[in-house]
Amino acid sequence: MATIQLKGVSKTFQISRQRRVLALSAMDLAVEEGEFVALLGPSGCGKSTILHLVAGLDQPSTGLVLVGGLPPRELQSRHELGIAFQEHALLPWRTIVGNLELPFQIAGRTPDRERIASLIDLVGLKGFESARPSQLSGGMRQRTSIARALCLSPKLLLLDEPFGALDAVTRRSMNLELQRIWQQNRITTILVTHTVEEAIFLADRVLVMSGRPGRVIRELHVPFPRPRTVDITRLELFHRLVDELTLSLEPLTLSLDPTESLHET
Amino acid sequence: MKLDDETTTLRRIVYRVCGFLVLLALWQIAGKSGAGGKTLPALTDVLRVYTISGRRALLVRAALATSSSAGLGLLLGAVLGCATALIAQLLPLLSRGLNRLAVVVNAVPAIALGPILIVTAGREATPVLLAAIPVYFLLYVAASSGLRSTDSRLEQLFQASGADRWKRFIYLDSVSALPALLSGLKLAVSTAIIGAVVGEWFGAPTGLGIVILNTMQNFQIPLMWATLLVVAAISLSAYALIGLAERAVQRRLV
Repeated sequence: MATIQLKGVSKTFQISRQRRVLALSAMDLAVEEGEFVALLGPSGCGKSTILHLVAGLDQPSTGLVLVGGLPPRELQSRHELGIAFQEHALLPWRTIVGNLELPFQIAGRTPDRERIASLIDLVGLKGFESARPSQLSGGMRQRTSIARALCLSPKLLLLDEPFGALDAVTRRSMNLELQRIWQQNRITTILVTHTVEEAIFLADRVLVMSGRPGRVIRELHVPFPRPRTVDITRLELFHRLVDELTLSLEPLTLSLDPTESLHET
Repeated sequence: MKLDDETTTLRRIVYRVCGFLVLLALWQIAGKSGAGGKTLPALTDVLRVYTISGRRALLVRAALATSSSAGLGLLLGAVLGCATALIAQLLPLLSRGLNRLAVVVNAVPAIALGPILIVTAGREATPVLLAAIPVYFLLYVAASSGLRSTDSRLEQLFQASGADRWKRFIYLDSVSALPALLSGLKLAVSTAIIGAVVGEWFGAPTGLGIVILNTMQNFQIPLMWATLLVVAAISLSAYALIGLAERAVQRRLV
């Protein structure tokens, strides 16, 4: 049985008294254990909504969300969920080490010094242990938040456009970093992104979504074996897949007319 | 708050000192020439009071009494105000009622409570309580808004990480509330000192309020002004101290 299951999930947001927006409609999704799935789509296509539902930060309007056969809230209270947002969401008053101690403290455990040290090493932040987030670059902050997400060896890793706020060069090197980190851990992962290359490079499976109501319009099983290195981004097949998915994303720009995509009730 | 660079900070300090000196000079002139009437002595006459050792001892004793009343009142009001804000935060059902309570407490003129407090709480406790009441209101408001100021992304992170209310409070909300809390405390300090002085007027055994009252009745004008200056100095230095703490916290929370 799949680790993550969405069955007939829809989500409606109340915009104002008369207006409601259907963000997701009759969504089915299954993610296997140890699988890396990328949700790819333009902003407003409901991909972040899916992530929030799986994280238990939002409740579906209809349908069922299960993680390991249990409601997401259960995973929260077991502290088995690692999450990283587009904005780093680090505690500004704590050092890097202090921020990595946080998941342990929330879970009521003693911070594991060795684990924290090895994670800092893993994300390449050695020597910055006692720096505070405001002293770090955007890329370094995101490394910290990914390290923090990994602290308690989560069953599930949720990445909500974690590199969305970074410049292209930093983003590329962060993709390489994440590839390396993930290959050492192989945690079930959902990555939300709007960058095609990022999705194909990192994921086992890419789901292309269209907006309002959000639904999957294309599924791609990425054919590249692991471990993957930067070399695959130079393959012709890689570029062909990027072009294909980019094309499948493109018609969406035509359907972004608000009168058409808003479902009023 | 944006931190200015060093030169503008320096310039600001110079301006402030100059303005202050001009004010003092005007005081001196008005006092010496008699333009301010009999009740406005020259600044030098007021300052001379501090050189008389008996007077100095009196003022130090009174200042200690008033400071400790104000300090106790500040502590009491702040603890109760924060505790009320916390209860309102944890039990949203009560928050409306607690809001009203705080408004009512604030609406009652403290000075009218004086005689009642003298009868019920006693002469020594009255300055403390009159200091505590306005502090309670200010800190309740400050802590309430501080507890609501938590970054929503951090809230999501804590929720996804499975933080219970208590963990969320100690690791997130309490720290996020600090800047608002310190702003409230900065305002509360002077009201606490006013409360303590007014509280003493109702018959406390000692304190700056008592000295002011006695000097007024005995027409000891320079001593009265000297006492007022002590009250102002206590108030200003407490304000400055909390201002420093506030700035240090803000720098940490960027």
